[in-house]
Amino acid sequence: MGGDSVIQQPIRRSRQSAIRLFAQEYADADLPEEGSGEYDPSFVITKLGAKVNRALVGGVIDRLERREHESGLSFTGHIRDPTGVHLFNVASFQPELHPDIEELLHRFEKGDRFLMLLVGRARWFETDDGGVFTSFRAEEFTVVDKDRYTHWLVDTAAATLRRLDAFEASMESDLTPAALEASGVPRDLVDGLILARGHYGEFDTENYRVGVLQGLSMALGSNAVIESAPAPEASGDQPTLAESVTEADDGGVASLESDPEKDVNEVILETILQRDEGSGVDYDTLVHACVMAGHQRETAEDAIDHLRDVDGAIIEPRFSFFQLLPE
Amino acid sequence: MSDDGRYAAQIAVVKQECESAEDEEIIKEFRRYEEEFLIPPEDALRSVVRKFQMASGQQVSTITSSSRTSFPEKKATKFSELDKDDKNVTIEVAVLSYIPKIQTVRGEERQIAYGRIEDSPWEGERERWDFTDWGDHAQNLTPGAVVRLEGVSVNFWNDRRSININRPSRVTVLKEGGPAVTQLSDEPVSIEVAGKQEGIVNIVARVLSKKDDSIVKRDGTGTLEVVRGRLADSSGTIGFISWRAFDNEVGSLIKIDRASIRRYRDTPEINISDSTKIEPYIDKSFASVEELNTSTRSKIADLRDGMRDVEITVQVENWQARTFTNADGEERTVRSGDVMDPSGRCRLTAWCDISPEAGSFLHLNGARIQFWQGSPDLVVDDPNQVIDLSDPPWDAIDPETHWVDVDLTTLVNGGSRRGIRTAGRVVAVRPDSGIVERCPECRRVLRDSACVDHGAQRGNEDLRVRFVIDDGVSNASLLLNKEATEAFIGMDQETVKAEVTKEGQAGFVAALRDRYLAHNLIVNGRALIDDQGAMIMADSTTIDPRTPEDAANEVIAKWGVIL
Repeated sequence: MGGDSVIQQPIRRSRQSAIRLFAQEYADADLPEEGSGEYDPSFVITKLGAKVNRALVGGVIDRLERREHESGLSFTGHIRDPTGVHLFNVASFQPELHPDIEELLHRFEKGDRFLMLLVGRARWFETDDGGVFTSFRAEEFTVVDKDRYTHWLVDTAAATLRRLDAFEASMESDLTPAALEASGVPRDLVDGLILARGHYGEFDTENYRVGVLQGLSMALGSNAVIESAPAPEASGDQPTLAESVTEADDGGVASLESDPEKDVNEVILETILQRDEGSGVDYDTLVHACVMAGHQRETAEDAIDHLRDVDGAIIEPRFSFFQLLPE
Repeated sequence: MSDDGRYAAQIAVVKQECESAEDEEIIKEFRRYEEEFLIPPEDALRSVVRKFQMASGQQVSTITSSSRTSFPEKKATKFSELDKDDKNVTIEVAVLSYIPKIQTVRGEERQIAYGRIEDSPWEGERERWDFTDWGDHAQNLTPGAVVRLEGVSVNFWNDRRSININRPSRVTVLKEGGPAVTQLSDEPVSIEVAGKQEGIVNIVARVLSKKDDSIVKRDGTGTLEVVRGRLADSSGTIGFISWRAFDNEVGSLIKIDRASIRRYRDTPEINISDSTKIEPYIDKSFASVEELNTSTRSKIADLRDGMRDVEITVQVENWQARTFTNADGEERTVRSGDVMDPSGRCRLTAWCDISPEAGSFLHLNGARIQFWQGSPDLVVDDPNQVIDLSDPPWDAIDPETHWVDVDLTTLVNGGSRRGIRTAGRVVAVRPDSGIVERCPECRRVLRDSACVDHGAQRGNEDLRVRFVIDDGVSNASLLLNKEATEAFIGMDQETVKAEVTKEGQAGFVAALRDRYLAHNLIVNGRALIDDQGAMIMADSTTIDPRTPEDAANEVIAKWGVIL
């Protein structure tokens, strides 16, 4: 056998199941539940009551970067599903995953885009002002064809419908385990729903239904949507990188003014000023705004780096989310 | 005073803690909590007691109340954080058992209860302590429940620490457990309820069977004569063991007071001891032996390790006899075969001379269940236990296609079973998938060319693949042996070996991951279930053949989605 060392597990705990969820539900979540003991699982609880420790997520690769730091190499990436972007990383202490992710990075850097499915463990980052940013640490991942991805979309649509159904049942019920189960909430969603309902304010569940409908309609053949850009109305106010990628790869912005009216730095600063609601504005949004204002994609990327690293006018408190430097 | 009855129990407690309180004032207070604050009297008790103690300024009037009021609340998450004289402790615990008991306290018969609880109920290293419930919190302290205890104290006696749950302590259920442990009373419980309990029960049941048995004492000082048998009521049956003479005939209806329920492996059993009282019971409407017998037949899916006196009908798939020499040098023959019923498959072992034909139907009486290779198997010891049925109870099952569909969650939450079909998506490919070397003595996988038990060995090469499959709610390990792996991945052992030589172990595993990660697998096989989860040994595995369109249409139909 190979030289895999056998890792002695201190105490075997039952494994956490992989929650199927779309990016929007996970990105909206800001309720972590930290296990109290050393080996206790931690969870991110979504508005629909999913208790996410491990998840099976998918999407088209959107960003992928290698980072070198004192503790070694790590990788950070984005995958985009019909509802938004999942962030993931491969840590320096996961050398067994490095060859595979290097290979993907190579493909990505050559301009290749591909669908991925990824099993990851929930992580989160809390800002000083209480914002919570969710992401995954990759455990297993692979590049998949559209057929396998579409199966995932359907599976995730079904899981989301199940949570929507349970969430609606919980609206009519007392928030006790017995009452929730009596009103038809599946056992695995009871804990999460109680926590979610106690933490999150009112919200419109329709947002989550849109992703479901997208996934299902893609499976039924309107397949052009998947590998190009998701329909804009579905992704809300977040323009997608896929759009800008397509445009940039086509050699620029033929349909747009070739002579930008505004300085690229101004566009970036204004966009942040307008759109930052406390958690920063994501990289793709900034690039997209610049492209829409007639700048080249590369110009936009360079400008963002310059504003952050040289001017110090903007900060990146979390990977890929930008804020103005506080006064 | 019409509410007196409703609040009587709580009033008694308040008065015990605070003598000067007036009944009417107490009732008024409880009613206010219930109607205005929507807090039922049980939950309001602690608040009300505190209110009256403070109102009367008697905080130091008695030891109990002074200790309770003068100690600040101590919140703990672990028992290890508690000191031996801590009072007014708040801690969340999981209730493992709850055993009511009548005890005479100051000349008065009172029901108390004892049992075991564990700290860190949500996750983590758990420590287990005993507790005593002095406050009749049976409704909330149900085994399996997770509760918040408030106002409990640490009891330190004989170098052992335990928790006292006092009368004014408050117990809040955070996660519901099983059914409440029945209050000790003359009211008997059904066998179904009794089987889920621990501790002392009273039941009314008919004797279905009994036979004398003897148990060899562990210390070798001889044997104990016991009587074993089976009791039934309309809710089910339960085995019993009597440690004293048991004179009631088969078919008689009896009331058993103060028997204890103990578990043998996974199976509850009624224990009849000297303190148990048995008397004849008269109830003309109680089900007859014949009626009860039909309800006592088991299905293969329901078999659990340690069951006795099982009545079941099975179809024989195959039959073999094997002769071996036992430790005492005797030559013995064991006969066994695979058997099926509509609910699943198992093995049948006979320590007696029976030779059923493949395809025949057997009705077994008094069979026992033993775990073998992780699944519950039927055992008979005497040819009289076996009736070869000429009249098939069902259309012959084809063993080639007999797989019982069980969804992963049901499977993981049930007992070990054979002959199941289940499904889940691959969420992990274990890095030790591929070629392994097995110890020639015990077949265990060698690590660094050595067996844990048999030392350095020249191993036998074998092929296996390990996945984790997951349906989003539950997950299980999936093990494919050589045959199942070859059929599934379409490569024989030699080809895999060549692949591993070329691409390395990690490369082979990466290729498996690329091919199978997130695919829905349909697995036929057997499932081994224990505390640590489920392991499925696959006989055969296929990728779900549905197209995404099929799957989407199923989802749309199930949830009534309008696109």
